[in-house]
Amino acid sequence: MIGWSGRRKALALFFFLGPTILGITLFSLYPILLSTFVSFTNRNKFRPNPDCSLFPTSIIDPLCWPAFRDRIPQGLGSPYRLQEPLFGNYALVLGNLFTPTTLGAIAMIAACFVPLAAAAFFSGRFEKLASPPVPSSWLWLGALVLGLIMALALNVSAAYSTLLSGGDFIVVVLRTFIFVIARVPASFVLGLTLALILNSPNLPGRTFFRIVLFIPWAASSLAILMSLVWQFFFREQGTINQILAAFGVPGKAWLNDPFWAFVVVVIVDTWFSYPFFMVTILGALQSVPGDVYEAADLDGASWWTQLTQITLPLIRPAILPATVLTSISAFQMFGTVWAITKGGPIEKVGQPGATEFVIVYAFKQIFQSQNYGQATAFAVILFIFLFSLTLYSLRLTNITKGAYDT
Amino acid sequence: MIRKPTLASRSLQYGILIAASVFAFYPLWFALLASGRIGDRLYTLSLPGMFLPVEWTFENYRAMIFDKPLLTWLRNSLYVASLTTVLSLVITTSAAYAFSRLRFVGRQSLLILLLAVQTFPGVLSLVAVAQLLTALGLYGKHEGLILAYTTSSLVFSTWNMKGYFDTIPIDLEEAAQIDGCGPLQSFLLIALPLARPALAITALLGFLAGWGDFIFASVLVPAPDSMKLVVPGLFSLASSNSTPWGYFAAGGLLIIMPTIMVFLVLQRYIEGGLTVGGVKG
Repeated sequence: MIGWSGRRKALALFFFLGPTILGITLFSLYPILLSTFVSFTNRNKFRPNPDCSLFPTSIIDPLCWPAFRDRIPQGLGSPYRLQEPLFGNYALVLGNLFTPTTLGAIAMIAACFVPLAAAAFFSGRFEKLASPPVPSSWLWLGALVLGLIMALALNVSAAYSTLLSGGDFIVVVLRTFIFVIARVPASFVLGLTLALILNSPNLPGRTFFRIVLFIPWAASSLAILMSLVWQFFFREQGTINQILAAFGVPGKAWLNDPFWAFVVVVIVDTWFSYPFFMVTILGALQSVPGDVYEAADLDGASWWTQLTQITLPLIRPAILPATVLTSISAFQMFGTVWAITKGGPIEKVGQPGATEFVIVYAFKQIFQSQNYGQATAFAVILFIFLFSLTLYSLRLTNITKGAYDT
Repeated sequence: MIRKPTLASRSLQYGILIAASVFAFYPLWFALLASGRIGDRLYTLSLPGMFLPVEWTFENYRAMIFDKPLLTWLRNSLYVASLTTVLSLVITTSAAYAFSRLRFVGRQSLLILLLAVQTFPGVLSLVAVAQLLTALGLYGKHEGLILAYTTSSLVFSTWNMKGYFDTIPIDLEEAAQIDGCGPLQSFLLIALPLARPALAITALLGFLAGWGDFIFASVLVPAPDSMKLVVPGLFSLASSNSTPWGYFAAGGLLIIMPTIMVFLVLQRYIEGGLTVGGVKG
């Protein structure tokens, strides 16, 4: 397209991107830098203060800046120093992740996903070469069956329990993953379904439903209160059990059961998050030109074909970033789970609870045990891990590309 | 989508809508019942009391509005949230425009850098942000909070908005440029009106970031009472030995109301159909 060039372009870029870059540098990059630095030190509740005569500390720790220098509390134990050995916190956090047994267990679990990965690779690439052409649903179904057979053959449940005994880090990250895999598709599908229905023209009561269905998002400003309301529904004397009792079905203590506590957290977080998808998808649907559907109708395309071949590809650039970003924030979910279960129920003493997701774990490390060094090391590992995952998903989905780019 | 819906598909649609509405609304209804319950309890053990207002009093609402500084807190929050909305709309739109319409060296890496900083756990940057705001002299002031909220919703909104701009056919702007518009003019006159749904969502995100936050607001503006935002203010009513659930529920519903009103205003812009037939060929 036509646009600016030369100095005018540089000036335009400066004005358009300057505020964003400044904001990100101050409020995101600097905190990350500081946390990374702290992760290499032995800072904890006995050594909370910096030693400003040392070189990197004097620049990076805000307590050493001229504005705060006189405010450092004196006589509170010795100052923190770089950890000996330097990667000590990281070794502690990772536990025995890098032992042959744990890595072996990971490899075994990963092997079960190979057929699915292969299906992803082959679908669209070679299926048209086979004669007669293989429909991609068959390919995926075959891959799924093969994966399940491999899971049985390799005894994945044994590998899984080996993995769980490999230290807090693995347990916590794995649980969080399962949470994200359950929660994001749940709220996406619910949001998509509702958006598609609400987008149909001449639907009486459309505005009413839009507002009622938006309520959970509005209520997220009271996440703590609403989480406690939800918690009550699943208590032993709560709504669910009372309704069940009215039908003569014995209830149970949902939140004391590791599996059900997990399910409850997924349900509640889906409640909080589906309106975002609904509203975003509803917005994105407005950019789809109506004449495309007229043409598809003339060609006799079914409802499902129209959805998967027209609607989804056209709104993809708008909803993919939303999905990736929601996955990231689901990974870092904290408030809801803290209000409902506080990370519990705990199955074994000294192990993280059934709903102790990564940020809950980090939060406990910082604010209950005040292990700053270890908690920041945990955060940095998580950061590297999540970031590589995001990069990989970007490669897979080509997220930076627009709908009409070629 | 254009076809006339059959009776079966219509009833399926309404079935889903009604089930989802019950799921969406019941927890709030429960909080509404608690706000009128006598005796400061969030919970009731009677089954009808969980669904119907068997006991009702306006005492909690009266106390929240006239005895507690709720109105001051609401005013503070309104100030912070609306400035956050405006600031994030301006910053986000300009950045998203640059990312979507300009091609420059480092565009992809900058986009990915934005995503990268978002993957760092936010709880951990809180202490650093507080220190930084103190150094800037903004600690304990509403302006500091506005800055923190704007940046916290920046990445999400920029990506979202850029994604939406990408779905708008660029041909429209090109046509305007051939007719003599400058790049900025064609963007402001053509693409921006078409992106109204995305603008509405960004405004909503900005408003909710400023309105509903608890952690940043309670750490960055801890005192005095007259400066507090509404959510930390509400929760500060609890003392170590009693939790006034009736106040919480009543105050909570008064807090949710403005959010729903903002959505009511904005949801008109999430309608559209402006591009329908906009590009032929």
